[in-house]
Amino acid sequence: MKPWFRYFSFFLILGILIAVSIIEDKIVSNSLIKVNDYCFEIENAISEDGKIKNMDMVMLVDNLEYEWKENEDSMCFMVNHKSIQEIGVEISKMKSYLAGDDVKEFKASLELIKFYTHSYLHFMGASWHNVL
Amino acid sequence: MFTIVIRVIIIYLVVLFLYRVMGKRQIGEMQPFELVLTLIIADLATIPMAEVNIPVLHGIVPLLTLFILHTILIFASQKSDSLNRVICGKPVIVINPKGIDYKALKALNISIDDIFEAMRGCGYFKLEQVQYAIMETTGKMSIMPKSGCAPVTNEDLKLKVQEAALPINIISEGKVLKDNLKIARISLDEIMKEIEKLGVKKINDILILTIDKNGEGFLQKKYGEYSTFQMEMKGE
Repeated sequence: MKPWFRYFSFFLILGILIAVSIIEDKIVSNSLIKVNDYCFEIENAISEDGKIKNMDMVMLVDNLEYEWKENEDSMCFMVNHKSIQEIGVEISKMKSYLAGDDVKEFKASLELIKFYTHSYLHFMGASWHNVL
Repeated sequence: MFTIVIRVIIIYLVVLFLYRVMGKRQIGEMQPFELVLTLIIADLATIPMAEVNIPVLHGIVPLLTLFILHTILIFASQKSDSLNRVICGKPVIVINPKGIDYKALKALNISIDDIFEAMRGCGYFKLEQVQYAIMETTGKMSIMPKSGCAPVTNEDLKLKVQEAALPINIISEGKVLKDNLKIARISLDEIMKEIEKLGVKKINDILILTIDKNGEGFLQKKYGEYSTFQMEMKGE
C-alpha cells in the first residue's frame, strides 16, 4: 500500500465521517421539527371549532402522514427502524379516530406524537445525552 | 435474505479495505492495541450483518472511526517515543548474564514455565545456554545464546560463500507468473528449453519452478521428484 493512498484514505474517511454526522443531525432535527410543527397546526385546528371530522383536518392528518413517511425513509439510513416506528403507528390511529370523530383519543395520539418527536431528538443526532 | 447478502458484502468489503490500509500484521506480531482493535472490529462487523433492523451505517461508522483513531495513534506513537512506550510498552530483559530476573517476571506476570517454553521454541533447553532473553512488546521472547552455545556461522569458520539469493517463483501449479518473468528478465522460451532437458514437456505438469539471482533453478513436478538446474540470469 503506497503512503499517499494511506493518507488519501485517512482524509477521505475522516471527510465521510464528518459528512455523515452533519447529514444525520440535519435530517433528524429537520424531520422531527417539521412533524412537531404539523402537530401544532392540527392542535390549533381542533381548538378553533372543537370538532375534528372535517376536510381540513383530513388534509392536515394526510399531510402529517406524508411528511412522516418521507422523513422516516431517510431516517432509516441513520437509526434503527424499530426505534422510530411509534409515530407511524400513532398517525394510523389518528386516522381511524378521525373517521370515528373520537376527539379524546385523537388528542391523546397527537400528544403522543409530540412526546415521541421530543424523545427521538434525545437519542438521535448529535447530543451530549447520547454521548454520556 | 437478499438484504442480508448485500449487507454482508458491504461490510466485508469495508473491513477488507480497512485491514489493507492499516497494513499487514500477523496475529502473533500484533501490538496489544492492535489485537484489541482486531477483536472490536470483528464484533462490530458481525452485528449489522445479520440484524436487518440496524442500519449498515451503524456498523460502518464505528469501523471507520476506529480506523481514524488507529491511524492517529500510530502516527502519534511514531512521533513520540514516550507515547509509544505508553501504548506499546517496551521490551523487558527477563534473563541476563546473572540469571533470571524474578522482578521482571513478576512485573510481566509470566511464570518460569513460560520462559522455558519460549526457550524451547528457540531451540534452547538449558538456562545456562542463554545469555539474554528479552520479552518483546508483541509478547514474543527473543533469545541471545551464550557464545559457546550459539550456532557456528560461516563467518566463525572464516569461509567464503556465495551470497544467498532470493528465489523467484516462475511457475506455480502449472501457471506462469508473468510479472516474475519480467523481474527475472528471462523469457518463457528459455525456461521451456531448460525444463525440456529435465524431461518436462507441458507447463501444466509443473508444481513449482523457481530461479534465483545466481541462476540456480528448482523444479518440482506435480507427480514426481524435484530436480535442480543452472541457468544464466540477466537481472534480479
